[in-house]
Amino acid sequence: MTGLHQVLDVRDVAVHFTPRGGRIGRPQPTVKAVDGVDLLIGAGETLGLVGESGCGKSTLSNAIVGLVPPTRGSIKIRGQEIAGATRETLHAVRSHVQMIFQDPVLSLNPRATIGAAIAEPLIVRRIATGPALKERVAALLAKVGLRAEHASRYPHQFSGGQRQRIVIARALALEPALVLCDEPVSALDVSVRAQILNLLVDLQRRMGMSYLFVSHDLSVVRHISDQVAVMYLGRIVEQASRDVFFAAPKHPYARALMSAVPEANPVAQRAKRRVILSGELPSPTNVPRGCPFHTRCPIVTEICARERPLLTPRPDGALVACHHA
Amino acid sequence: MTMSNAPPLRVENLTIAIDGASVVDGVSFSVAAGEVVALVGESGCGKSLTALALLGLLPGAARIVRGRVMLDEVDLASLPEGKMRHLRGREISIIFQEPTASLDPLATVGSQIAEAYALHHRVSRSEARTKAKEMLVAVGIPDAGRRLGQYPFELSGGMCQRIMIAIALICDPRVLVADEPTTALDVTIQAQILDLMKRLVAERGTGIVFITHDMGVVADIADRVAVMYAGRIAEVAPVDHLFARPCHPYTALLLAAVPRLDLKPKQLLATIEGKVPAAGDFNDGCRFADRCPLAGERCRVETPPLVELGRGHRTACWHADRVAALAGSAA
Repeated sequence: MTGLHQVLDVRDVAVHFTPRGGRIGRPQPTVKAVDGVDLLIGAGETLGLVGESGCGKSTLSNAIVGLVPPTRGSIKIRGQEIAGATRETLHAVRSHVQMIFQDPVLSLNPRATIGAAIAEPLIVRRIATGPALKERVAALLAKVGLRAEHASRYPHQFSGGQRQRIVIARALALEPALVLCDEPVSALDVSVRAQILNLLVDLQRRMGMSYLFVSHDLSVVRHISDQVAVMYLGRIVEQASRDVFFAAPKHPYARALMSAVPEANPVAQRAKRRVILSGELPSPTNVPRGCPFHTRCPIVTEICARERPLLTPRPDGALVACHHA
Repeated sequence: MTMSNAPPLRVENLTIAIDGASVVDGVSFSVAAGEVVALVGESGCGKSLTALALLGLLPGAARIVRGRVMLDEVDLASLPEGKMRHLRGREISIIFQEPTASLDPLATVGSQIAEAYALHHRVSRSEARTKAKEMLVAVGIPDAGRRLGQYPFELSGGMCQRIMIAIALICDPRVLVADEPTTALDVTIQAQILDLMKRLVAERGTGIVFITHDMGVVADIADRVAVMYAGRIAEVAPVDHLFARPCHPYTALLLAAVPRLDLKPKQLLATIEGKVPAAGDFNDGCRFADRCPLAGERCRVETPPLVELGRGHRTACWHADRVAALAGSAA
């Protein structure tokens, strides 16, 4: 990738929220949803972003499409800075980055035909009109395994898996360089999930776009990703290539997460030694000092409460933020 | 409580109809003391209706039209609501996916746990409260004394599910029905709850009917598995057998659709073509026939019976002998 821009280049991004309201004279605590994240995604690559509820993974992906302004840091999409960018720049950059969310029902206007939904980005960007537009929509439907005559139907006439295909077709309309997939298969049944995963993989092979794939499901992430990043309380605690990560996760949180995912293999499952984390996720309004994980960490020592560990490279190329891993 | 060798829960030929369509059709299975039986299947397969029917909690439109739900010597399916109430919570309990939706937001968790006990026992309030505190300790909630006085909103989702388990088990029921109890939880919390349930089953000898769509969870907690498709049981087997040698094409394809360790990255997963037939659209034969790569003439006209293959492995497929080849090619 030398000389070329990365598709996505995120440096030291933080998103803090200060809730309004509350009692007079009492400042509300700041929610540090994302607190100093670096990410790179190359062309045609998939980065799997893993973490549990409240870790900041969705806030981070919202910041990347400019839906929430970052408190600090830089977010570049194909070299274009979007942090603090004007509306015009944002509008221009957004044609390169599209989103797919968990629940396709919430992403589709129930009163618009799916043809209209898919055509909208093409109309907004003045890319096609009339018969050419119709043709583009038909081609997009075909790409995701639907038929041209589906264009005149409404979202409620489709199954959950088909609706997710429609959302994918719309996301592809502008031929984006990056697609943010925020839990795109979490609401789907197993057999439908496999179809959508296959579709995403196939489309990437044919069109070469990059994915930021946000998920809590490690088995899905293992299947689809080239790179894996694990978030905990707004920070990335480990990042590595898929093979390095799944061969031996190093951060104690990554290990606990991995051991907690039930494998569809009863024999392996019984043999597995689980790292059961004590306690629950601290609130992001009150992130522990030092290492954010030290309150639940099985290998915590005195330094962890004092000093925040930085992401540092390991011999196999993994980046790990831990004093002891 | 009498403990005989017969399994405490025996579901026999349970058939549930909505508007004349048999959405659950001839379902039979049993649960022994201390055994976890998973009912697994995708949306609309009838697993949750089956769960509700066991407790006499079917929604208005759904009715049991055939079959029995034997809890020891009592047929719950034919029991009037008044009598069912005496057993519900005492002999058979249920927990659901969304614990916060099952708890009363205006009552302390302590009073809700104590209520479940006092309903079935003649005890004073303080006795019930003591019992509730013991139960909180049993489900692994630290600082039980303080927690008793808290409201559901003060507790996390994982804690609330522990409270639900405490309520469900405080009367030491013979059977617990768990309908997707960990689906709404994060994986590390799910692992805690699954471990808790396994421990409680071992300690108390409660039989569990565990409803889930997650094959990983099945592999973790189940002793035996019943795979459901379109209202019928497609296959029943001890958990190791089911995963090692699925004998129904639906099971084989479902397992192959799950991303696994031994697959190459981005390798295409097995898929199942078509979709589940709508209730009322069932054909006369095997309900999976229209989507099944092995289906022949007979499958569309004649319903395959659930046939014993040995060691408790039963499957409802005319082509069970060819499934191994299918599983091999799908994976």
